[in-house]
Amino acid sequence: MADVVLKDVRKSFGAVDVIKGVDLEAKHGEFVVFVGPSGCGKSTLLRMICGLEKITSGQLLIGDEDMSDVEASDRGTAMVFQSYALYPHMSVADNMSFGLRMAKTPQKVVESRVKKAAEILQITHLLDRKPKDMSGGQRQRVAIGRAIVREPKVFLFDEPLSNLDAELRVQMRVELSKLHNEIGATMIYVTHDQVEAMTMADKIVVLRDGRIEQIGSPLDLYMSPDNKFVAGFIGSPRMNFLRAQIVGSANGHAQVSVPDAPDHVLHIPLRDAADVSTGQEVTIGIRPEHFLGTPEGPGLKVTIDVVENLGGIAYAYGRTNAMQDVILKAESETPPRSGMAVTASINDAYCHLFDKEGRTLSTSAGAIRSQDAAA
Amino acid sequence: MAETQTMPAARPVSTRRNTTFFSRNKLVIMPLVFIAPALAMFSLFVIWPILQSISLSFTEWQGIGPKKWVGLSNYRYLFSDPVFWTSLVNNIYWLVLFLLAPVFGLLVALFLNQTVFGIRLVKSLFFFPFVVSQIVVGLVFAWFYDPAFGLLATILEPFGIEFPPILADEDWATFGIIVAGLWPQTAYCMILYLTGLNSVNPEMIEAARLDGAKGWRLLVKIVLPQLRAATFIALVVTVIGALRSFDLVAVMTEGGPYNSSNVLAYYMYDNAIFRYRMGYASAIATVLFMIMNVYIIWFLLRLWKNEKGAR
Repeated sequence: MADVVLKDVRKSFGAVDVIKGVDLEAKHGEFVVFVGPSGCGKSTLLRMICGLEKITSGQLLIGDEDMSDVEASDRGTAMVFQSYALYPHMSVADNMSFGLRMAKTPQKVVESRVKKAAEILQITHLLDRKPKDMSGGQRQRVAIGRAIVREPKVFLFDEPLSNLDAELRVQMRVELSKLHNEIGATMIYVTHDQVEAMTMADKIVVLRDGRIEQIGSPLDLYMSPDNKFVAGFIGSPRMNFLRAQIVGSANGHAQVSVPDAPDHVLHIPLRDAADVSTGQEVTIGIRPEHFLGTPEGPGLKVTIDVVENLGGIAYAYGRTNAMQDVILKAESETPPRSGMAVTASINDAYCHLFDKEGRTLSTSAGAIRSQDAAA
Repeated sequence: MAETQTMPAARPVSTRRNTTFFSRNKLVIMPLVFIAPALAMFSLFVIWPILQSISLSFTEWQGIGPKKWVGLSNYRYLFSDPVFWTSLVNNIYWLVLFLLAPVFGLLVALFLNQTVFGIRLVKSLFFFPFVVSQIVVGLVFAWFYDPAFGLLATILEPFGIEFPPILADEDWATFGIIVAGLWPQTAYCMILYLTGLNSVNPEMIEAARLDGAKGWRLLVKIVLPQLRAATFIALVVTVIGALRSFDLVAVMTEGGPYNSSNVLAYYMYDNAIFRYRMGYASAIATVLFMIMNVYIIWFLLRLWKNEKGAR
């Protein structure tokens, strides 16, 4: 049906390469999220799919048709913009029906589609209003409605929630997911907010510098990132990275020593034992929630600087003796206080190991567990 | 206003401390204080001369000596004066043809509103006639039109075409001047439209493109409605500019030949300064003022409505 397939798609502005060869497949009905830091090319990629930017080289297929050089309005895509981009001089109903009227759709069809979309989005009472008389959330709905009435094969969202306040953003996130279930169309969603990516996506595409770093389900990316960049980008608060050294390897496990926790040698399962050698400088990555809460015993000595208590959980921001930043998850009812020295014992089953280039060397227990769950 | 005055009364607690007349009526007094200087100047230099001109139009006066009350006789004479009618018709030509300025201005602005290398230089070149004095514009165009050594005559000569002496031709002189006037006026409208185009959300244009609007339809249905404010100002400025056209006429033809390119403003000046007919000139001024009032009132009503809508 309406799969979106990108084959070695590239984009250059003059001498500057922005998209450096992207291969990607979004299956029909999938919710795909492009995520990455600003300037990574995620918006450009989206604009290339909808036809606002020309594809320098490569191929774009939408539903098995080559759309690489097709007019933006004929690609069967609809886009929701960050600024909503509503036509300020038109009423909501006119805003939503403009595209259909441009395509000379019969009046009756236009009316029924606008009515249906307005019902889905619960904006029927706003149809006669002008954009300036509406709140941000309402405008956002109209912008989505404008996309729905065109009944596109593919919905494209360019950071649609970033102009909304936090509470509304959470609400719209849920509604967008609901909408996706209801309509069942392919949706491609761009955001820099990894929380949006984690909560909404069937498939996350992490981009950096015009290249795909990793594609996978949210849990895949969380549990077994392919490299240090993805590991650091996905998850909030972010993963802790600590300098470490390989002290030996046996049975497919690397023995790793962390200078800040000299009494504790970690045993981390490896993807390929040939990748490591004794004495190699590496980085270990561990998420704030994967420290074992033991006050005594071997582990990382951390001095707490700041504690953020969110009620349900608390996060403690601190430093090791070697001044490496560490974030720990803590009990919200008995959180550590700032200035306190605590021992954080590293759960090596959830430890990630990266080489100097940032490639993942380990295969974490978490990853094995998530693969089991998938199977 | 009424509300602000009654508010302190409704809250006796606050009146106990602020009991002076000034502090109680601050919200009414302060705006008046701020407006007063401008109002005084405006009355002295605008309102008063207008009233004076109108009263002068009922007299016969040489500029010195006694004024003689003549009632409506200046107006009676005016309406049977063929030069007045020529001037009025010429003013209508000015008005109609000057409306091309917003159209051209929009086209130029659309052309300049792109990001191409060197566009800033091109923009400033288009901006240029707006900076130049009208007198200079008049002189430059007079040279263009010169049938002996003028630019147009020189260009057309190799093709065997003899360029007509436009400014000396009763039928064409007015149009020759209007073309000269359109040049700076177009630049002015262009600036208004460029500013307007700057504030159009580019994402909205992209949304319209995705909605299948292209070219002419994109311009008419999406872009032009965003430029309503600019269009409004451009129209008003152009209409007023056409009605008060004076300097170009003065420099290029002095109303000639045989008053064929005269306009009301220049005819008024001619009567007052060269013929010492202050009363008659005032009558022309009053008529011109009344015509302009139609537009000014329309302008003020629109402005007032917009202000109300913005609140």
